Amino acid sequence: MEQQLNTLLTLAKEKLATISSSELLEEFRIEFLGRKGEFTSIMKGLAQVPKEDKPKLGQMANKAKKDIEALYRDLHAKLSAGSAGNTGESSIDLTLPGRKPETGKLHPVTQIMNEVCSIFEGLGFSVAEGPDVEHDHYNFEALNIPAHHPARDMHDTFYVSDSILLRTHTSPMQARIMETQQPPLRVIAPGKVYRCDSDITHTPMFHQVEGFLVDKNISFADLKGVLTIFTQKMFDKDLELRFRPSFFPFTEPSAEVDIACVICNGKGCRVCKRTGWLEILGAGMVDPEVFKMVGYDPEVYSGFAFGLGIERIAMLKYGIDDIRLYYENDLRFLSQF
Amino acid sequence: MKFSIEWLQEYVDTGDLSPEILAEHLTMLGLEVDSVEPIFPELTKLQTAKIVQVESHPNADKLNLCQVDNGEEVLSVVCGAPNVFEGMITAFAPVGTVMPGGMKIKASKVRGVKSFGMLCSEAELGLSESHDGIMELPAGTAHGQTLRKALGIDDLVVEVDLTPNRPDCASVIGIAREVAGVTRTPLTRPVEETTLEPNYNDFKVDVENIEFCPRYSARLIRNVKIGPSPWWLRKRLLSVGLRPINNVVDITNFVMMEYGQPLHAFDYDKISGKQIIVRNPRNSETTFTTLDGEERNIDNHMLMICDAEKPIAVAGVMGGLNSEVTGDTINILLESACFNPVSIRKTARKLNLGSEASYRFERGVDPGGCLVVLERAASLLCEIAGGTAAEGGVDYYGGVRPLNSQTLRISRTASLLGIDLDYDKIANHLQSIGMRCKPKDDNTLWVNPPTFRVDIEREVDLVEEVARLVGYNNIPTSLPTVHLSYPEKDPKRELRTSVSSLLADTGFTEAINYSFVTEKHQDMMQLKEDDSRRQLVQLLNPLSEEQSVMRSMLLPGLLENLKRNINFQQSAVKFFELGKVFTPQGEDEQPVEKERLTCILSGRRAGTSSSLYADDAVVDIFDAKGVAELLLETLRLQGCDAVDTVFFRYPEENESEVFAEPSQCLILDTKEGVVGQLAKVQPAIAKNFGIKTEVYFIDLDFELLSSLLGAKKHFSSLPVFPAIKRDIALLVPVSTKAGDMLETINKSKEKFIEATEIFDIYQGKPLEKGMKSVAVSVTYRSPTKTLTEKNVNKSHNKLINLLTSRFNGSLREG
Repeated sequence: MEQQLNTLLTLAKEKLATISSSELLEEFRIEFLGRKGEFTSIMKGLAQVPKEDKPKLGQMANKAKKDIEALYRDLHAKLSAGSAGNTGESSIDLTLPGRKPETGKLHPVTQIMNEVCSIFEGLGFSVAEGPDVEHDHYNFEALNIPAHHPARDMHDTFYVSDSILLRTHTSPMQARIMETQQPPLRVIAPGKVYRCDSDITHTPMFHQVEGFLVDKNISFADLKGVLTIFTQKMFDKDLELRFRPSFFPFTEPSAEVDIACVICNGKGCRVCKRTGWLEILGAGMVDPEVFKMVGYDPEVYSGFAFGLGIERIAMLKYGIDDIRLYYENDLRFLSQF
Repeated sequence: MKFSIEWLQEYVDTGDLSPEILAEHLTMLGLEVDSVEPIFPELTKLQTAKIVQVESHPNADKLNLCQVDNGEEVLSVVCGAPNVFEGMITAFAPVGTVMPGGMKIKASKVRGVKSFGMLCSEAELGLSESHDGIMELPAGTAHGQTLRKALGIDDLVVEVDLTPNRPDCASVIGIAREVAGVTRTPLTRPVEETTLEPNYNDFKVDVENIEFCPRYSARLIRNVKIGPSPWWLRKRLLSVGLRPINNVVDITNFVMMEYGQPLHAFDYDKISGKQIIVRNPRNSETTFTTLDGEERNIDNHMLMICDAEKPIAVAGVMGGLNSEVTGDTINILLESACFNPVSIRKTARKLNLGSEASYRFERGVDPGGCLVVLERAASLLCEIAGGTAAEGGVDYYGGVRPLNSQTLRISRTASLLGIDLDYDKIANHLQSIGMRCKPKDDNTLWVNPPTFRVDIEREVDLVEEVARLVGYNNIPTSLPTVHLSYPEKDPKRELRTSVSSLLADTGFTEAINYSFVTEKHQDMMQLKEDDSRRQLVQLLNPLSEEQSVMRSMLLPGLLENLKRNINFQQSAVKFFELGKVFTPQGEDEQPVEKERLTCILSGRRAGTSSSLYADDAVVDIFDAKGVAELLLETLRLQGCDAVDTVFFRYPEENESEVFAEPSQCLILDTKEGVVGQLAKVQPAIAKNFGIKTEVYFIDLDFELLSSLLGAKKHFSSLPVFPAIKRDIALLVPVSTKAGDMLETINKSKEKFIEATEIFDIYQGKPLEKGMKSVAVSVTYRSPTKTLTEKNVNKSHNKLINLLTSRFNGSLREG
């Protein structure tokens, strides 16, 4: 019996070495491993051996079978892999395209908006939304921009009536929220805003995210810290940024935040007007007048506010050079993002 | 605000600061530099050249053929100017130059004679209005150098984007003062301080409205000779984009740019009664002609400068034609005043008349600076226009508020900025820009801002100055210490996100259209006259008719998007838009803003998928219905477990949109009301948008949708026993709705029915005309045992009987 097994094993190995096609391999499988094959008949013979030899011989037979099976599998795998490259009738051309499910895209403005919101939500800001058609009071007066203030020149406003207008920024949400809630506050307000201005860098409608944080002992250094986190998450963690003085009637001190130009890496190009810097958001400490108008005591509370333009960020992040593309809804544009 | 580097250097020594570093300093001080560019950039290619020979043109009487030496070679140039002469040094535009007007100089033949370039007049170079022949440069000017160098205009102009709070920097000296502060170098001004002896002999001043005119000072300059200004003065004005006019006007403009204080020159001899009255117009005074020749309506809220009889200028905005300085003017009354910013702004707005003067008055000029500026202008008028200043003058300053000291707390400054500060640090910074400081107590400073800083009114204004001078980049960064709280999420916003991503994942691209549209959309959609969506929120000042009303529906915008894409050969279009529509309320009330979700589908169903696997079948109403079903299923708003079930039904009479094909329209309804509808757009409507293909839409009230409550997720145990499937093929009249058949089965309460499905609809031969076959598969299962044929047969036969009797049908054989 032992002899028989060894002979069979040697024979099987020799035979395998000569096999070069799947057909021959299949013949081999039937001859050796099949239901009526060599091994089966040997195993059947196992019934006749003396009882005390059974475990040992059984083990041997099993091991021999496993060895042959392993060799068979290896060769089988080798042969089937080879067949893919054959030009035979059964071959499949895998260079053909896949059956790709059709999907659409979110508008790039939505994509960036979601990204901006999720960064601030990660910092514990809640999200609030307000009306597009706004009272003069919330858009201007409550933000320390009285009628006939030259700062109104910074906002080319669409009017619906004397006191109703299309909001020119998302900042009215500062007043709306502070009017109804008490500090501490951490809020961002995304939305559409409107200005009557239209050229290659301005569309009459665009998107902003306003944000503000009001609590005790909030400082300009905190503003810098939060906006630095935002900018680095939005763009690149090593991105250089700078804060420089500016003016908004509802913040004091006011700042504009520039990032090193992402187009030329700060060397100076057409996009950054050769300054190496790109303006990406406006910010500042909430002006005491704004607090007084909503009944907060500026001696007790302080806070910062900021606003940023989504289209601008998308332009910088994606290298879009004409802002008008955003609202033409051309699939050749939308499908790129 | 524009200034040139050379001009700036008259007041501050910028040493070896490069223009780039200077620009950076200004930007970091809050004076954002917009651009730094060479002045007269278009003159870069111009050269000085010497005319070495002048001959008459052989074929034209009025032309000359000049031989011109540009320092490198002698070129033939044809010239028509009468003033050419041999030896003249003039401005030469070589071949290839693009002139300020945009014309490109080419080598050409003029009446058969070749000409290589052009000799230019001052007007052609944009240097003056003079067309009297070509420009003549002083004899002895070297030829072959750049014209910019020869004219001393090798200078850079810097444009600063001035914020409204810094009117003090709307002048070259104002900018120089900031530069001097940051570089800690002295500032020198042509006139530092002056006084004015009162003299009421030549004219009197009477200010009736003190609130509108806190200060009015004036002087008389006699015997001026009106003429063109010298080149240095014209150069300064041109460098900042101002047009030279005559010496008197040029001097007032120059001094305004220099000091930031607007001046006005009256023709003294045209002032009736030799009296200046600053007042509002009388009721009888309703029109006034400004010096641009326009007759303008005035009202008694405006402030006018008047003589004994009549208005002679709109205060702070523009002078009058009746007192204008002309070529015949001999005596000049020079005004240097301070007007109320709000009054000036209102007036300039009403008259739609902005000027360099009104720009400055609106923002606030230095009430302490009137006399210095008057002195500077007077001395220039004497020097340049040959005038003689009369002794003294009038200075009325009854409305100027006395200066208040302000207090600044050190601790407040430090905590608001997040930095360490002490008295010395703060005082040192503030003093560098001319603020006087002294200690009040341990924690407080007295600060006296200079008069030109009209923006400093509160403690926080001083805090900002400290921050600016410390440098924002030198303030550290920190993160606020706040109490932990959970930011509540807005469910509508959450829903928007999930609906948007579902639609995007199933092949829809998100569109965002302008909220304002053309009013024509309502007609293009053929809305009925009484349709509430014809009530539109109108803009008072739209950019165009195309964007004049706030949209009341989203579909028209999407149809326009479809048309655009078809034009660009993208005809397989699936768009969705989630946005607000607007309904007007009363006058001076905010409109109602409601969100809608609208989808459109058109073109190839498989989109841009490879034709290897998909055919070119186009979308139909079932694609639209399928999307709606998927959406409702995802939101768990379909099926009996949902709290608010959305179901589809046929529209009732007049319920389908007028722009929808009534036979292909479904209403999405709930017990809370109709959510919306899906339908095919009528071809005639699509045609109004230039679309010839079939278009389907889904239009939903997103507000209502977001208020509906879907089924809670709830586990039911998996079936243990096998199911039995039975098919029924029923012949019914073609008008029978398969959905009704399913509903009948589901409502039959027959035992063990687990699911039903329509798997085939057939119409045509060999079936009888007017009949169709509907094949339904019914799945039976029991939760407690394995069903036998017998169990099922009983129910199944009952079902067949029910269906055949209710739908007037018969079992299809075979």
